[in-house]
Amino acid sequence: MSCNDYQINRRRMLKTFSASLLGMPISQLLAQTAPSRAQAEHVILFWNSGGMSHLDTWDPKPGRKVQGEFNPIKTSVDGMEISEIFPQLAKQMHHGALIRSIAGTNGDHGRAQYELQTGFNQSPNIMHPGLGSLVVHEREPLGDLPALVSISGQPARAGYLGQQCEAYFVGRPGQKDPYLAFPEGISHARGMQRLQILEKMNARTSGEKGSKELKASQTALKDAVNLMESPALKAFELEDEDPKTVAKYGDTEFGRGALLARRLVEKGVRFVQVNRGGFDNHGNIFDAMRNHGAAMDPAIASLLSDLKANGMLSKTLVVVLSEFGRTPRINDGGGRDHWARCFSAMMAGGGIKGGSIVGASDEDGMAPAERPVKVSDLHATMCHALGINQDKELFTPQGRPMRVVPKGATPIHELFA
Amino acid sequence: MDTHEKFLEGGDTADAVVPGDSAKSELLVRIHLRPIDEGVMPDEGRALKPEEVALLDAWVEAGAKWPKGVTLTERKPEAPKRVALPQKAPGSNIEAAAMLDDILRRENAGTGVVTTQTLNNAAFLRRSTIDLIGRIPTMNEVREYEGWGENRQTKLIAKLTSQPRFADRWTVFMADMLRVRSNVTGGNQLLAYLHGSIEQKKPYDVLVRELISASGRANSNPAVGYILGDDAQPMELAAATSQIFLGVQIGCAMCHDHPFDDWAQKDFYDLAAFFGKTKKMESRRRGGSVYTTEGNEMTVLWPPEDKAEARDRKPVKPRFPFQLGHFEKTPHHIQRFEAVRLSQEQKNSTDDDTASLDALLDAVEPNVGRPIDPVLEEAKKESQKLNVHGDLYRSSELRDQLAQLITDPRNDYFARAFVNRVWAELIGHGFVEPLDNFSDYNGLHHPTTLDFLAQEFIASGYDFRTLIRIITLSDVYRRSALPADTPFELREKSELNFAAAPSRRMLGEVLYDSIVVAGHLGDFKWPKGANNKQVSREIQIATGEFTMVEAGDAEKVTTMAGQPAMRGDGYDLESSLKIDFSSILSSKEQTELVSMREKSDEQIKAEEMAAMQKDEQRKVMKYKTETVTETVDDNPRFDSAMRMATPAPPAHFLRVFGQPARTGLGEFRDEASSLRQQLMMLNGRMTHEASRVGTLEPLHHLLKKDQNLAIDWAYQEILTRLPTPEEKSDARAIVNDDSQGMADLRWALINSNEFRFLP
Repeated sequence: MSCNDYQINRRRMLKTFSASLLGMPISQLLAQTAPSRAQAEHVILFWNSGGMSHLDTWDPKPGRKVQGEFNPIKTSVDGMEISEIFPQLAKQMHHGALIRSIAGTNGDHGRAQYELQTGFNQSPNIMHPGLGSLVVHEREPLGDLPALVSISGQPARAGYLGQQCEAYFVGRPGQKDPYLAFPEGISHARGMQRLQILEKMNARTSGEKGSKELKASQTALKDAVNLMESPALKAFELEDEDPKTVAKYGDTEFGRGALLARRLVEKGVRFVQVNRGGFDNHGNIFDAMRNHGAAMDPAIASLLSDLKANGMLSKTLVVVLSEFGRTPRINDGGGRDHWARCFSAMMAGGGIKGGSIVGASDEDGMAPAERPVKVSDLHATMCHALGINQDKELFTPQGRPMRVVPKGATPIHELFA
Repeated sequence: MDTHEKFLEGGDTADAVVPGDSAKSELLVRIHLRPIDEGVMPDEGRALKPEEVALLDAWVEAGAKWPKGVTLTERKPEAPKRVALPQKAPGSNIEAAAMLDDILRRENAGTGVVTTQTLNNAAFLRRSTIDLIGRIPTMNEVREYEGWGENRQTKLIAKLTSQPRFADRWTVFMADMLRVRSNVTGGNQLLAYLHGSIEQKKPYDVLVRELISASGRANSNPAVGYILGDDAQPMELAAATSQIFLGVQIGCAMCHDHPFDDWAQKDFYDLAAFFGKTKKMESRRRGGSVYTTEGNEMTVLWPPEDKAEARDRKPVKPRFPFQLGHFEKTPHHIQRFEAVRLSQEQKNSTDDDTASLDALLDAVEPNVGRPIDPVLEEAKKESQKLNVHGDLYRSSELRDQLAQLITDPRNDYFARAFVNRVWAELIGHGFVEPLDNFSDYNGLHHPTTLDFLAQEFIASGYDFRTLIRIITLSDVYRRSALPADTPFELREKSELNFAAAPSRRMLGEVLYDSIVVAGHLGDFKWPKGANNKQVSREIQIATGEFTMVEAGDAEKVTTMAGQPAMRGDGYDLESSLKIDFSSILSSKEQTELVSMREKSDEQIKAEEMAAMQKDEQRKVMKYKTETVTETVDDNPRFDSAMRMATPAPPAHFLRVFGQPARTGLGEFRDEASSLRQQLMMLNGRMTHEASRVGTLEPLHHLLKKDQNLAIDWAYQEILTRLPTPEEKSDARAIVNDDSQGMADLRWALINSNEFRFLP
């Protein structure tokens, strides 16, 4: 859901009031403080749950004992090599940037997922919003569709930003959301008739009582009906997509998720999160990663090339992220265990300088060797790309000021052209 | 910025104030920024009101005159005016309610508020049934109520407060207040314990003493869920305990002296020290349980970590930072309280010489004709055991002391904080808002009304139902809403002064249960086979082959094991999975505890090793996914949402309708409307099924006989009132002697604002 506020908003009132009172262009004053290089309007976040191995994807270690079964392959960028499980992606890496020196601190799934998705460590007394909720809180909605959509799973919660900033979610790409159409057995004509009856009833109540809560409820109803009737909803339906395109993305749930993500940002959705599980490979990691590669490679590669072709890449930040990496040492079961001390991420589009490599791990991928990057730096980077001031403070419903990114985080400036 | 010099000085970039030119004054520019912008002033606390901003502008434009030697200090709002409390004690709840109305009337004298009429009988039935038992009244209840005649409202309150559903509905209230989460250790046990406590009419002070002082583990001593909920962290517990039970946000003094209050950081540390020896332990046994016990070391040290070297930090001696009342003569409400407790004890001591707290509880309200509460029984058994095995789960003397101080009837904060919450739940807003922020700097209104209720609550022996009865029997509770053409300010003023009812929406749980009642979804409303349909869904079929899975490879296990298939139609977000409160505390845990103590450490170690090896690799059946088409009898039944695991999953109906995540202190229900709420109501399965006229429903037969009667019935069943003549003629056109038309009418009634908002 976009963060439409259905109640009278004190801050908005104050803003209007003060702007007119002073008679001076506050907007100009604000514009000066906004970062000038922000390009990203949308985000597509591929969230890989379970802790994706960095050694078997973005940071191969050929010739070392920790290498595992995969060989590195050359990419479209001189000197950048990635794992052989991503052959198509390798050809798109001139759009992408690798960060190979993320120094995490949480080796537990729950805590690490919270930190990677919110930028903050868990705290018993406050729930921080996930990046998606933050983005839709900070950026105006575009178009009819919900501003934050999560595919094949749930993103981090909206936390103190409240229900209005929670994700609209699609269980499986292409799956119909039953709440966007009248229930089975109710034709469109009958549904519209019902709405007319309802409208008359509500008008009667409002005519008698007329509180602002009733009015807010009416506005929400109008918005709901608008969404149900919106032609943009077509974006959710993959049936009309060219079978060749579906095949190009790999006819898998993940592939369809990536395709849906593209269709949604084209219709103005601000933030799409595509979730994928199955990375907690304590055993038989190489079989598992081969399968992951087969699904992820065509999907993400096609997404990047399609976004480039239709001109959306420059304003769409694509991020591939997981909660941590995996141990360089291969265990007796042919798997790797949790490893937070050093891992990688990939970013592309939205102003990110393609072909860059940030930082490096040591020879076995055990620890950052150059330019360690904090988890909160990743969030500062994404905020920077989106033009969200990372020093900004938001207020919880209890009036407690909260930073959008932890203090001390710095964007990775070399990622931006 | 409290003197003239500092005021003009500003920061390192610009002058704070240029007298005569507000546009060049950095401070003023910043005050005009939106509160969410960088550099906005004030950067802490509430934003300035437009009139305050305008005042500052005008003052700077006029030259920013500042008399010599004047220093600014924070101004406390004026202490609210009080009126006299009644001289004598009320003889009944009805009399107490009348006294309440009288006090409020005197407090409102001269304020110019509009006092609305009291509700009619039908609206009162609807409002109080929704508030007290968490759903709309059934048709039978409407009929019964109509038959009661003259004293029906009084009779209704007595009935509602003694119904089993009363405990369900107010468990939701307590779960919000205490931030109960089913998914943390001890969460479900705490939920079951609260439910049992309300059902058993446990006095509120006893309940709170148990919560604060509990030790052990959740399965045997469920009250410990409160301590476990904050991971037994002294700082978190001190902040939570004072904010929840005393309505004082002393937690803000955790890091610094409180900026908007008189609490010093040391006060906070003194309070936290009561929790400073409590430790959360995890049993060494694999899959072992979590429990709390008392250590010997005081873990709360002063000065704070960031202000002193480790060696200079000394253990803090616990001290209660709140003043207890001093009286020359014991006030009558405390005399009455003591008399109630004394008579309870005397009654008890005739039965048993060694009177325990639990026995005392039973004496308060004997369990006539009620099944014994298993939760309480378990708790009792465990507390007896604690004396035997006192060393394993050591009870906390410090927390015992704290619990006594907090619940002392001379501690004004305790009763007032709770009364404020209950009042707001029933009336729409509190004497103090936010409900948990009593402070000299935060406005309190109608202090005498609050004091009176707090005193009556104490005098009743902290009886929850007495408090609720006094409020709901008063005229304040019966106020109707103001008409639509009331000017905004008059409306706001009248509502805030409790002279008119504000607009209140049903809680998510209440809305859910009310749809179930309105649509007869609590039981089958179709005969078998009437709704047969073909459904395709994906199922997982065992292939007969096995594969080995490593321990901890959770992902693989979940993807391979035969999970229950999803409903397949996408309506899971409206399901209610009921928890059986009575079976949460399994007796197996008890025997395990005993056998654990009989084993040597070596034995336990050996068993652990064996268990680990067994878990190292597991044989798991391989499954494949197949789509099957089958005939199902779609005849849904819905359970109450009041007994679900809580909070519900994200995006569930209850969450969309405001159920809080209960992760943060001071988190209240989100009462805003949203698009998602409307979509779930317009197109949801529940509203759809509720609208359809089942052939087993009385309405079905009525419709065949006389559609006028059927329309009356539908209105009464859904809105607890008859239609107006105009509504009735509209309804006739909609229904048109047809059950589809009736479904349309019912759908609209259930979706209407009148259904969702309280009368």
